[in-house]
Amino acid sequence: MNFNVIIYIIYIPIIFFIMIKVGWLLFKNGEVFLCDIFQNDLEMTQNVNKLLLIGYYLINLGATTITITLWDNVESIHEMISTFSSILGKTILLLVIFHYNNIFWIKFLNRKKQTFN
Amino acid sequence: MGSLKIIIAYFIYLPIVIGLTVFVSKKLFESGKSFMIDIFRGKEATALATDKLFEVGFYPINIGMALILMKISSFSNRYEINNQELIEVMGLKIGSFSIYLGMMLLLNLFLFLRRKKVTRSTQKPQSPVTPNI
Repeated sequence: MNFNVIIYIIYIPIIFFIMIKVGWLLFKNGEVFLCDIFQNDLEMTQNVNKLLLIGYYLINLGATTITITLWDNVESIHEMISTFSSILGKTILLLVIFHYNNIFWIKFLNRKKQTFN
Repeated sequence: MGSLKIIIAYFIYLPIVIGLTVFVSKKLFESGKSFMIDIFRGKEATALATDKLFEVGFYPINIGMALILMKISSFSNRYEINNQELIEVMGLKIGSFSIYLGMMLLLNLFLFLRRKKVTRSTQKPQSPVTPNI
């Protein structure tokens, strides 16, 4: 068992936990906005929201699983810690950028809808 | 020894992939029922039948894709594959299949929403008439 295997075993649960937690929070709090977009059709909102959550999980967890093939070989413990932190940081930053992008689009769509009505 | 590890990898890969497909299509077409009822304007028998047919079509597409993606080709001539390479290859396979499945799910959702919009826009000239009668 070399350093790479250890780091994979540590990395996968941490990043999965973060992804699942963030997705769950978005699922809970995004329902209000979707309800606005679908003009208070509650059943439709819940269905669409659930499907969006599953799609989010599949794509994000798949992408993070793919990224472990791109790592360098790790030789020592300090290299392991630095690689680990940089990759974790990059992934979380990417997630946050997508998150702000989503907020922007929600605001944009809502504003467009309000000007129509 | 190397080929044994690849066989183990296949036996880990197959249940994950098939389970994922079954779970996703079950969830998708459970929600799809309400869309279908909207699209077919309340004709429930037709809607449920169509939903079922789409669900049956969804399994072969995705499981077929999973079986195409399954072959681990880069190590087949070599007898040494260590655990690290095994984990990386499995991550690549399962991750790419998961992304593919997510794309299919979102595509289906998009098609549902578009069809619903089309139905609603064609229905609109008729709907103001009914309250007046």
